[in-house]
Amino acid sequence: MMALTLFLIITLTFFLMHAIPGGPFTSEKMLAPEIEAALNAKYGLDKPIWQQYLSYLQGILTFDLGPSFKYPGVRVNDLIREGLPVTAQTGFLAMLCVVALGIPLGIVAALNQNKWQDTTIMAVATMGVAIPSYVLATIALYLFALQWNLVPTFGLDDWRGYILPVAALSGFWLSFIARLSRSSLLEVLGQDYMVTARAKGLHPQTILFKHGMRNALIPIVTVLGPVVANLLTGSFVIEQIFALPGIGRHFVLSISNRDYTTIMGITIFYAAFLMLMILIVDLLYMVLDPRIKLAEKS
Amino acid sequence: MSSAPLLKVDNLTTHFHTSRGDVQAVRGVSFDVKPGEILGIVGESGSGKSITCLSVLGLLKANGEVVDGSADFEGKQLTGLSDKDLRAIRGDDIAMIFQDPMTSLNPTLTVGEQLIETIVAHKPVSRGEARKRALELFELVKIPSAASRLDNYPHEFSGGMRQRVMIAMALTCDPKLLIADEPTTALDVTIQRQILLLLKDLQEKLGMAIILITHDLGVIAEVADRILVMYGGMVMETGDVYDVFESPQHPYTTGLLDSIPDVRSHKKERLTPIPGSPPDMLRPPEGCPFAPRCPHAMQQCLEAMPPLFERPNAKPTVHEARCWLHHDDAPDSLKAIFKAPEAANG
Repeated sequence: MMALTLFLIITLTFFLMHAIPGGPFTSEKMLAPEIEAALNAKYGLDKPIWQQYLSYLQGILTFDLGPSFKYPGVRVNDLIREGLPVTAQTGFLAMLCVVALGIPLGIVAALNQNKWQDTTIMAVATMGVAIPSYVLATIALYLFALQWNLVPTFGLDDWRGYILPVAALSGFWLSFIARLSRSSLLEVLGQDYMVTARAKGLHPQTILFKHGMRNALIPIVTVLGPVVANLLTGSFVIEQIFALPGIGRHFVLSISNRDYTTIMGITIFYAAFLMLMILIVDLLYMVLDPRIKLAEKS
Repeated sequence: MSSAPLLKVDNLTTHFHTSRGDVQAVRGVSFDVKPGEILGIVGESGSGKSITCLSVLGLLKANGEVVDGSADFEGKQLTGLSDKDLRAIRGDDIAMIFQDPMTSLNPTLTVGEQLIETIVAHKPVSRGEARKRALELFELVKIPSAASRLDNYPHEFSGGMRQRVMIAMALTCDPKLLIADEPTTALDVTIQRQILLLLKDLQEKLGMAIILITHDLGVIAEVADRILVMYGGMVMETGDVYDVFESPQHPYTTGLLDSIPDVRSHKKERLTPIPGSPPDMLRPPEGCPFAPRCPHAMQQCLEAMPPLFERPNAKPTVHEARCWLHHDDAPDSLKAIFKAPEAANG
């Protein structure tokens, strides 16, 4: 099933990509026709498209994403291997912020429904959802880096370099998860089994976490898988703004460069990653909600 | 009044604060429950019967507040007690079961765990011992193959079985008082009877008292010793179950009894509903809350709240009704409706 999805993604991206006018060696500086022909021949771009497609598939089967067309002598596998630590680090930190701040903020808001804590958290969260991350990033960069010199404007040389990219990256999802946690918990708090738990004389903390949060987490976990993937893809823009040497920057550049193999390679990487996250969520789901069982088991 | 009451509720008044004003859900309700008796509380939706019991246990929603009155359990004031002290009583001395066993059990925990956590919360026992106790309780409420069922989740049980799980959960600490809030309403008719008989059986075996909240007079007739008829957040009539069924002293009770279909009657009869609808509890009427719907209402009924009048020649159990027709000044022609209960039922 996952292999089929991945195959469809590869096929679609491959042909869509080739449908864009221009090629990797078309540029303002006109190359001599002989050189362009030689380059095309070297990378197999002169062959019929179905042949290129088949040989690309062959490469995929051996986990070879091919050579980059724009960086001579660099393979796409290496591009990803070099960029991944940076993207993964910022992504992981952003995810940590989303979970470790978003969910508790949602709980605080839900437990203090319509009081000042709730209104404040929700006002900020609404802004966080409404303002695009690149706007937030640019404003933050201007204020904290340029005006007040609190953090560096680019690079990840020390921990201060991480603050703005991680904040910009997590802002939207942090707000989103806070809002979702609040509404999810509020719904659970109104359920009959919560009254039962109180009627049994359980401790309020047991009631909140064991009975409340366990149920409230189900819709949150559903979203968290795609959130992880989104944090990575969201980093396309953020990496560009903060000039971070991650995968996302290569991806943005590769599209305008028509660097076919890089586009393909990163797309496949992200698709596979997203599918892995969804699989993890499905497995987590079964742990949280006993009503969901694997098809084979029932 | 042979023994001291287990629970004594006095002038209990509960309001819900809403943006439109205070909803006066319970307005000065007084009653008591003796050890080992089954008290039935009847009334239609919104009559305050459930809220009365939730108030006693401090289980009201955040906007609910007991503004007056008291609930006294074995000499201990429940109203105004701290949450910590109330917790020690809930699920231990006073347990509660609810209307809908589909939604009253946590779907993500095994039923065994839901029993065990209750036992562990109140008794100094290990989880292993608690599990043994849970198994005993499952057998007590007659859940088939109890041992293997402990590790099932609520969705793996039928409605009737879930209600048995709820009952088992309520009995974990041998409560002295069980509050059953419409325990059979959400169940099939055949299952309803099984659950009722189980409750009655358990009450006799364990000697606990039960407050049975229902809108079904048939349920009350089946198991209750005494009855409390509520309307508009107040007690309309109270007495021994036979007294009240034989000679109801309030037009509302009469109306409730008349609206029960008689399956034994061979005549094709229409049901006799009570016309009108219950009062708006945001602005309850000054007089008798039932007066606007009462076929015998007098001018006085609309203007002043009637007190509870005691029926003079009742048996040992007090039989009272909140109706101006029992006042000495009420016209004899109207008083006559209570004097011939058989005729009223015919």
